[in-house]
This record gives sequence, C-alpha cells and structure tokens, in this order.
Amino acid sequence: MKNKLFIFFIIGICIYLIDIGLNSNEDKNIYISDQEILSLVNAWKSQVGREPTDDEISRIINNLVQEEILYREALSLGLEQEDKIIKRRLAQKITFLKQESILKDFSQKEITDFYNANRDKYYVPGLYTFTHKFFSSSSNSKERAQNHLNNSNRLYENSDPFFLGKNFAETSSLEINSNFGSNFSLYFENSPINQWIGPYKSSFGHHNLFITEYTPGFHPNLDDIYDQVMVDLNQLKRDSAISDFIKEVGSDYSVIINPDLKI
Amino acid sequence: MNFKSKKLLYLLLLLPVLYIAQLLIIDIDVNKKRPILNIFKLMQDDSALEIVDFSVDKKTTNSNLPKPNKDRNPYYGDLHVHTKYSFDAYVFGITASPDDAYRYAKGDGILHPLGYEMKLREPLDFYSVTDHGFYMGMIQAFADTTTDISKKDFAKPFHDLNRKDNLTVESAGERSDLFSSIIGAVIAEPHPNWHPSMIKAWLTKNTQQALKSFDYDIHKSAWADIARSANEHNDPGKFTTFIGYEFTTSTDIEGGNLHRNVIFNSSEASIRPWTRIDSLNPEDLWTWQDALREKGIDTVSIPHNSNGSNGQMFEMESFLGRAIDQGYSDKRMRNEPLVEVTQVKGTSETHPLLSPDDDWADFEIMDVRVGSRPPTYSRPSGGYVREAYLNGLTLEFTQQGNPYKFGLIGSTDTHTGAGSFDEFNYWSKVGLLDGDAENRGSVPLAPENRERLEEYMAAFNQPQSTITLEQGDYANTGFTQWGASGLAVVWAEENTRDSIFKAFKRKETFATTGSRIAVRFFGGFNLSSIDLNSDNLVSESYEKGVTMGGDLISDGDKTPEFIVWAQKDKNGASLQRVQIIKGWMDTTSGRPSEKVYDIACSDDLDVDPVTHRCPDNGARVNITDCSISQNVGSSELKTLWRDPEFKSSDKSFYYVRVLENPTCRWSTWDAIKRGFKPREDLHDTIQERAWSSPIWYIPDPSDVVVVPLGGTVPIRNSN
Repeated sequence: MKNKLFIFFIIGICIYLIDIGLNSNEDKNIYISDQEILSLVNAWKSQVGREPTDDEISRIINNLVQEEILYREALSLGLEQEDKIIKRRLAQKITFLKQESILKDFSQKEITDFYNANRDKYYVPGLYTFTHKFFSSSSNSKERAQNHLNNSNRLYENSDPFFLGKNFAETSSLEINSNFGSNFSLYFENSPINQWIGPYKSSFGHHNLFITEYTPGFHPNLDDIYDQVMVDLNQLKRDSAISDFIKEVGSDYSVIINPDLKI
Repeated sequence: MNFKSKKLLYLLLLLPVLYIAQLLIIDIDVNKKRPILNIFKLMQDDSALEIVDFSVDKKTTNSNLPKPNKDRNPYYGDLHVHTKYSFDAYVFGITASPDDAYRYAKGDGILHPLGYEMKLREPLDFYSVTDHGFYMGMIQAFADTTTDISKKDFAKPFHDLNRKDNLTVESAGERSDLFSSIIGAVIAEPHPNWHPSMIKAWLTKNTQQALKSFDYDIHKSAWADIARSANEHNDPGKFTTFIGYEFTTSTDIEGGNLHRNVIFNSSEASIRPWTRIDSLNPEDLWTWQDALREKGIDTVSIPHNSNGSNGQMFEMESFLGRAIDQGYSDKRMRNEPLVEVTQVKGTSETHPLLSPDDDWADFEIMDVRVGSRPPTYSRPSGGYVREAYLNGLTLEFTQQGNPYKFGLIGSTDTHTGAGSFDEFNYWSKVGLLDGDAENRGSVPLAPENRERLEEYMAAFNQPQSTITLEQGDYANTGFTQWGASGLAVVWAEENTRDSIFKAFKRKETFATTGSRIAVRFFGGFNLSSIDLNSDNLVSESYEKGVTMGGDLISDGDKTPEFIVWAQKDKNGASLQRVQIIKGWMDTTSGRPSEKVYDIACSDDLDVDPVTHRCPDNGARVNITDCSISQNVGSSELKTLWRDPEFKSSDKSFYYVRVLENPTCRWSTWDAIKRGFKPREDLHDTIQERAWSSPIWYIPDPSDVVVVPLGGTVPIRNSN
C-alpha cells in the first residue's frame, strides 16, 4: 500500500517536472525593447505633433501588451492556420524578400550571361546614308523612274519632292520601313554603293535609290551599354523573382486534388 | 464712487479699446497681404511641391544618335494611357502595369484582360502613362487583402477583384456597382475633426490625408512606380516617355467633365500628383504648375473630352463664375497650350448643331456627359474646339485676353495600357466592359448575355440598356459612340523629351484619328515666291512664314498665303481632300463666323471656285467585306492657298483638316467578322482625318474702343 502511494508520488513529481520543463516560464514573458517603444512614440509624435504625456505613453504600451497577449493566445489556439489574410501576408513578405535579395548585386558572370543571351536586343542596326528620287504615283511613276535610271546623264530630273525630304543620313532599316512602308528596307540589303538602283515601289509612288554609305550593324561591347543592361536585368529579375523561386522549391511539393470534383 | 462702479467703468472703457484693436488687426490683415493669417500659414508645408528625382542611372545606349533635323520630323505618340493604377481601370479587370504599357508602345504584344493579344502594327515614337491622380493605386490596394487599408469596411467588396478566375464578362455587374460606389460618399468620408490625420492634412496641405479610405504611402509608391517606369523606358533618339497623370476634376453641380492630363518634362516630379481632392478648380492646378515651374519643373496640362463637359470646358466665365480677365487668359495659356481634340470617347472638333454648314461635322460625336449614369445629354456649346477658338477671339475683342489659343493633339484614353487605334482591330477602352463585340453593341446579344447585361446595367443606374433592331437585340450602353482614335503628333528636331516637349509648348502639333497621316502647314505673306516642287520647300517655308501653332502678324493689307502639304498613312487609305477651316470675327461688332474651304482635291480634280468644294472622287466602300476602291485618291496633296475672302482688319484663325477616303468603321468590322450586317443606326464608314493646330492672323490694333465686359476687368483710361 505504502509502496503504491510512493510510486504514485514519484509519478506525480515526474509529471510536474515534465510540465515545468515543457512550459518554461519564459513563454509567458513579454519583452518589449526600448527601440520598439521609442519608434511607437516617434510615430505618435509625428502624427499628433507634440510629445505624448506619461498617461498617453502608458496607453501606447498597454495597447502593445494587449495586442501581444491576444496574438499569443490566438497562436496557441492555432487560429493562424488556414487564415487567408495571414497566408497572403506571409506570401507577400517572402515575395518582397526574394525580390529585394535579388535586386542587390549581380555577379559579373550573371551580367555577361544575360548580355550574351540578349545580344540581339542590343544590336546596333546597320545604317544607310542615301539620297533618292521620288516619282509620285499620281502620274506614271514607274515609267518616269525607269527613264531616270536609263538616262546616262543624270541631269535629266523630272522627279517629285518627297514629303520627308530627299537625303537621309544614317538611317536604320526600322526607320526606312517607318518612312517608306514595311519591307522597303529589303531593297537596301546587299545593294551596291554609289550607284542608282530601282525603281522600287512604295505606297506613295516609285523611288530610285543612291546609297552613299553603309555602316554595318554590330553588337556593342558590354561596357558601352552597361547601365542599360543593368536596368533590363533588374527588370527581368523583378519580374521573374517569384516564379524562379517557386520553380526552385516547387519540385519538393506534390499537389493533391480530388479528381472527382465537379465545378 | 464705490469699488464696484469703478470696475464697471473700466470695463466700459475697455470695450471700445478692444473693439478698435480688433478692427486694427483685421485692417492690417486685410490690407497688408494678411500677415497675421500668414503666421499660421507658415506652419504649413505644401506636400505637392516637394520635388523628387525619379531618374534612373542610365547612359544613352547608342552613340550613333540621328542628327537633329532642322526641318523637323513628325513623331507619333499617345499622351493618355491608363494602367492598373487607375481606380476605374483596376475595377474593370485591368492588371497591366506601366511597364507593360511602355512595352506595348515599343511594339511588344500585351494581353487584354479577356485573354487576347493587343499589338501595334508599327511602334510609336512617344508615350505617356497618365493614370488618374485621384485615388492613384488605391483600388488595387483595397483589393490586395494583405494591405492594412484593405481591412477597413469600405474595402471589403474589392477583395481579390482581379483574381484570375474573376476576369470574366460575367463579373461586370459586380464591377459596375463598385465603380459607382467609389464616386459615392462612402470612400470620400473624412476622419472626424479631432483625428490627428486632420491636423496632418492641414499642416502638409494634403486634403487626401483627411480621408478615411486614403493611405498616403500606397499612393506615393504607385506614383513612384509610374515615374520609375517612365524613366526606365525613356530612350533618347528612339523612344520618348513622359511622367504624367490625369487631373480628373469636374464641376460641382452639373458633373461637367473638366479632365486634364498633366505631362512633366523631366525625370524629376512632385512627390505626389495634384488631384481633385486638393481642389476641383482648374485654376488651382495652374497655380500649382506655376509654382512647380518656379522650382524648375515644367509641365503642360491638356484638357480632354470637352465634348462631354456639358459646355463647361470652354466657358465664357471662370470656374467660380467670375468674368475671364487678362490674368486668367495668360495663366491658362501658360499651362494649357494644347487640347486633346479626339480620343476613344468621341471627337471634339465641332458639332452639327454648332457648325450646320460643315458637311463633315457629324463625325464620331459622343453626345453624353462623361461618366453620367444614366447617360445624360451634354450641351454642345462650350464643349467643342472650333467654337472655343471663336469664343477666344470674342473674349479678346472685349479685352479679356484669349484663353482659347491652343494647339491640337489626339490620344486614346485607353484603360488597358494599350491604345486602340485601328478600326479593324479594336478593343475600345475599359477592359471587361467593352472588350468584346456583343457588349460594345456592334453585334446582337445572345439571350443569356442580354439578361445579364440588363441586370447589371440596372444596378448601374441605367434601366434602358438594350435596343431592338433588324437583326436582334443590341447592347445600347453608350459604347457605340466610342471609337478607335487618336494620335498626338509633333514636329520636332529629334525624338527626345526636350525636343518633343518644346513642340508641345509652341503648339507645332497635329491630331489624327489613329491614322498616320502627316501634314505640313505654313502661313505667310510671301509664300508664293517658293517653288512648290523645290527640295527646299520646307526650309524656305520655315524661313518665310510661320507654322502651325504660330501667330501671323498683319503686314499692311497683304493677304496671307498658306502652304499645305499632306501625306497619307502608308498603310491606310488614300487622301480624298485637304481643307482649311477659317474662323474670324467682325472688327466692329465682334460677330464670329466660320467657313470650310476645300483647298486641294485628290486625283487632280479641281475645287469649284464658287462652292469651294471638291467633286466626288468616286471612292467607295464595299460594306459586305470592307474592301475599298483601288487607285482612287492621292498619296499626297500639296498646294498654295490664298484666302479669297480676306479682310485685313478681322481677327482670324486658320487650321487644316485632311480627309482620307471612306473606310469601314470598327462597328462594321466587328459585325462582318462575326457574320452579321452592320447595325443600321450607326455610321457604316468613317473618314479618318487629321487636324493641324491653327495659325492665328493678328490684325493691326483696331480703332474701335470696346469697354471690357465683366465686373473684375478694370476699365482702362481712355487717354
């Protein structure tokens, strides 16, 4: 009998010790740092425009304490689980974290790789310097243009002024297409320099071209366009920060959906 | 005398002293520029004048920039684009960011909220994202359930509005309700008077801070993102961007639309946009712009949709009902050199009721007030630019200055980030509401869609939303009056912010309805000495005359001559005719008149000297497939014109209108693409067109002495 009582006593002590061990007192302590209080008081000051009184300070701290108590009690009840707002908030926090950590520094290799992968985006297009004779479609433009080409002394004129002018300096294919119509720049490709060629039709009439100079396009050195590359890389990273992260960790997850669900 | 009566006597003596002292203080305050009131004002700090440098560290990418062209190039752009940061765009499903918008302008495709791709046939030269300053970024914050502000009661309905599964036409009812409630009092409710935010609002002159539903941090970061995006995409020599926003104000009583876009000429800008919550009065906006200019930040504001202003945009009196005076006119012109004459919500050149003799006046007319529910008729007078030009002359006649001496541009006002310029590839403006043919009324509604539309439009305070026509029931919610328009075009030396902005300021601009027509316009007294077929036509014209937006000062009795040279859109229809529209005012009576002259006809046809009209060139449209007559019309038209009815003493203005051959309207394209006939109560075809800024003829000062009208104009000494 006495033995049994003793055993129960020992068991009781064990349970008590385990309980103490599990629920250490620290859990019920609320530490509020100086910094936290000061920043709240500062926020108060900037809103109200004067120093808070002692009363008001204690109210600020009280609010903080109450919030902390409610927060902890809610946690112990597991209320944070399956809460949409909290989920979103945490998801947003990690989004910001990921985006910011990415925005800081890039290794030289990363920049070079990005540049190499997007070289074509930075391609400086070939530039044509040329003059042209324009023959308006209002009167037999093709024939007149052909006449102009065939005539050996080029003094024979009879061409029309073109709306955007006669001489074009250092013009890219894009600009040529924009001024004369899409695909007009094809007539320039691999064309002879310093001789009249044509006639070429645009939606305005016919043109004879005299290309005086062609500067081939080139890929600029990374150093020359470094800032632009950085801006673009930043933009890309900002856009892809999250999808990359999900790709990275997503494979660890498996998604289970009820296959019979009717929507 | 006992003690008590002595005290009473002192008191009685004190009263007049106090009274006089008070009068003195008031007198000082009123007559000495309010030093006492100003003591309190010193405590205020104007948050709207805080300048932030948003510039992005970036060298020019291309050392081979094209050389500036002294004869100037035409650059095409759009200065009116909304993205997700606008309250009405986000509510209607738009999730496109400013970055997306600029990518679109440079030629990339972006997605419409209904899932299809929007892409330009040819990139633009300049672009400005101009979200509503009012509640900028706020609705997005309401919908994002992670923000603090979204937890307030008024934000609940917005929660997760644009989640992927909610981007459907069916959600339009929910969305329209929300849209109405934003304007409603719920969201504009202020904090109570004792609230710290009220004091803060006063101290920083930022009324928005006083509103319960406002979060300044979110507002500022939306604005900062818009500015960052503009600066990142700006690429001198190739593509120009402007930091900008829309000042969305209206008159208090009639809801008359007084919307304006504010465009910045720098990578720096104010820390926040000046909005309708700061003030409804456009004069206060100009005061703010003047103050920014003193700090080195130049801006222009550009009014739009005067057509839907119920006659309030170009009034003969000020916003507060005072007489317009020279100071008002100067201030307005200093800040508003341009007006957006055409956009998706109709064209504001003129109205058939205002210009009954103009056969081309009935063009893309939107006859209701902007944003009115149910749609309410907008009074034409006071809402159209041609009448405003005439009214400007009248105000000048009565010595009140000319506040309506502005140039013209077009833009789209798209809310999807992507301007819709082409009739055959049209997505209208507001995303889910009008992104498909049924909902914008160009094809009949399927029965279930009809029911849904009527339901949500009833909730949106529009009980009558469908119309029964030959082919069935159509949506009739106002979108049929909208159109695929327009473009802002400038003549500038090079494609840089500075060069294009200078063109805005000197009004060397023209507007098109989306077509890339180009037009040169010069006026002078000796232009006939220039050979029209010379290669130096343009440079000589610049030397010997003035161009669009300029003043032509009288030279004795000499008749002005004008050179006009128009070129068609290389991908568009051919040109049909070029016109000059003249407005003038009789010197003695101040009576205004206007007249439309055809000055150049296509296909070598001649203008009838009596009627001033071109003969029919025979261009037709086949409505069954939208094909047009080939080999009719001109690729360019060029002429020298002398005013045949010129009177050297009349104040006058001249502007050019270029007309294309007719082509199918978007509503016709919508119908035939889906196997229907075009709706019989709409125009089948339109004539795409361009309008230049005017040239004003300034006569010698007149002998007629006119006593200024209006109480606030000081009467000058007659000696």
